[in-house]
Amino acid sequence: MNDRPILHVTGLRARVADEDSDILNGVDLAMRRGQIHAIMGPNGSGKSTLAKVIAGHPAYEATAGSVAFQGEDLLEMEPDERAQAGVFMAFQYPVAIPGVSIANFLRTALQARLEDGEELDLFDFQELLMERMELLDMEPSFAQRHVNDGFSGGEKKRNEILQMAVLKPALAVMDETDSGLDIDALRIVAHGVNTLKAENPDMSVLLITHYQRMLNYITPDVVHVMVKGRIVESGGPEVALGLEERGYEQYRRMQVA
Amino acid sequence: MTQMAPPRQRAVRALNRDTVMETGLVDPSWLSARREEAWETYLRTPLPSTRSEEWRYTDIARMLPLEGIVPNSVDAADGAGGARAVPEGLRRAMDEDERSAGRVVEVDGRVVSAELEDALVAKGVVLDSLRAAARRGDPVVEALLATRAVPATDGKFAALNAALWSDGVFLRVPRGVLLDKPIRLSRWVSRPGTATFSRILIVADEMSQVSFVDEILSPDFESVTLANAAVELFSHRGAQVQYVSIQRMGRGGFYLANQRTLAKRDSTLDTLNVALGGSVGRVDLNARLLGPGANSDMLGLYFGDGDQHFDFNTSQDHVAADARSDLLYKGALDEAARGVFRGIIRVHEGAQRTDAYQTNRNLLLSDRAVATSLPNLEIEADDVRCSHGATVGQLDTEALFYLMSRGLDRAQAERVVVKGFLGEVLTRLPLGGVAEKVTRAIEAKLAVRG
Repeated sequence: MNDRPILHVTGLRARVADEDSDILNGVDLAMRRGQIHAIMGPNGSGKSTLAKVIAGHPAYEATAGSVAFQGEDLLEMEPDERAQAGVFMAFQYPVAIPGVSIANFLRTALQARLEDGEELDLFDFQELLMERMELLDMEPSFAQRHVNDGFSGGEKKRNEILQMAVLKPALAVMDETDSGLDIDALRIVAHGVNTLKAENPDMSVLLITHYQRMLNYITPDVVHVMVKGRIVESGGPEVALGLEERGYEQYRRMQVA
Repeated sequence: MTQMAPPRQRAVRALNRDTVMETGLVDPSWLSARREEAWETYLRTPLPSTRSEEWRYTDIARMLPLEGIVPNSVDAADGAGGARAVPEGLRRAMDEDERSAGRVVEVDGRVVSAELEDALVAKGVVLDSLRAAARRGDPVVEALLATRAVPATDGKFAALNAALWSDGVFLRVPRGVLLDKPIRLSRWVSRPGTATFSRILIVADEMSQVSFVDEILSPDFESVTLANAAVELFSHRGAQVQYVSIQRMGRGGFYLANQRTLAKRDSTLDTLNVALGGSVGRVDLNARLLGPGANSDMLGLYFGDGDQHFDFNTSQDHVAADARSDLLYKGALDEAARGVFRGIIRVHEGAQRTDAYQTNRNLLLSDRAVATSLPNLEIEADDVRCSHGATVGQLDTEALFYLMSRGLDRAQAERVVVKGFLGEVLTRLPLGGVAEKVTRAIEAKLAVRG
């Protein structure tokens, strides 16, 4: 049972819908339950596209290969079905939903997971929300703010982590590609991932990042380097350190798309 | 026990001079004279056509067949007062309300009850049937009814209303009296193919405070059924007034309102227009800022589906200097619904240091829905801060994906976005249960989306 990968990507090719060429050119990736994998790569390498294809972003289409999550074919599922199956993507650029409080949004998301006719107990929900916020050292008033509306970069990250804490995914895909991520936001993400991972060691994390510095805070089991839509090297944390020293140039020379 | 006499037989009423005369029979002479004069104005005033800028998108001649429409009016033959059962649909809406300082119930253009807290009666607050107040000879009613705010000369329907109004509400809050809960008017129209003409006259004296919620409901109708309202709102120096209109008529309902707010020095006169029901809704709102320090927040919310047609025609008249007005109208339109917003800020000569803002935002939920937004400015002073903006957009696919990635299906995600979009308006006016009630009505409408 534990030998089966929680996430198994094979030969995945994908593109922006309606465009002519693939961004992902045959990605292979296998993650076991409870592992943390980091995907690193230069800008435009396709690492963020991989995250979006896993989450089911409608602007992207898979043209070949497969993505299995706990044995299920993710590519056949709607984004909400993927979420309900246990996939969570922390957005690089979380979207503002004016007029909707974080608390209301999370309540709706939890309600959506229940069977028809089942009602989420509001008292239980409040308790859960408070408990999750306490775990993450967040002010209770934060949940009353409107989802990402006028949020700073750090607040947006905080909101993503809170949602992750409430929804308790089996697989968290952290799309942290943004090279502009400030140290505060980076710490929020790292603290959140580490706290939730300590609470639930079975949670698997796919961490997508441009810079090695994120890995000073989160220790991955496996580091992959992605260049031009392919994983060109996989190994332990030492791979990231090699990148720190020599950069991505070595792979660019080595690979032909 | 005396035997009740059978109701006197009479010819079916129509929109004509006889009905005006008959209606005025029981009124004091100043009022019946005002009605007759209004009728003359009505006859002289052409029906607005789509050739006029203000009615370009609402073809009233086609949408509202005035021939054959039967006015609901109150005259001697109807008798006075007498408790009438509150219709079930209206009762349900009233049961949803939070506490009130006073309540008026109007059925088919006739006030069937008006209640006000004893403590407020003792303080001199007047809440009454407008017709009764006029008959009683209230000097404020005589001075302000259809004279300064919505006179007969204000247009075809203002004239028709001034000639034929059957009843409505008179509310006067004396100097310095503060009401901590809203006054609520619950209106119901039951007779298909009729026209109801009501009026609301609210006068807030200096340093007083009052909020008023005007809700209208009806069943669905197979024939066009008109509810026409003339709303006259006066805030004297330092007073604070909030007026909310919630239109939840059934299909076939045609809601037509003329609203004017007159805000004097340092007073606040805020309005919220909510349009959810009816087949057609047209609101003409004119806010007049008459003294320095006057302020009007003007909010609007509309959510149309089917072939609903909502048309808002607003104006912000800055007559005095140093006043402020801020308008925000937001609408969501589904299926083949149509939304029209036309708004103008007029800064009159000498109205320096005016702050005036106007925003209209529309969210289209279907390819067939149409929103027309026409913001405008007319500025005759040089030291002002004014802005206007309009947007018409569709559901943001990034936002929908974001919500779906958290487990909401597409329909749920759309509902969340629409509710949030419209809800922004409600957060601006925190008033005893209004936001909750309107939110529930929006949810009910969203729940039946195809």
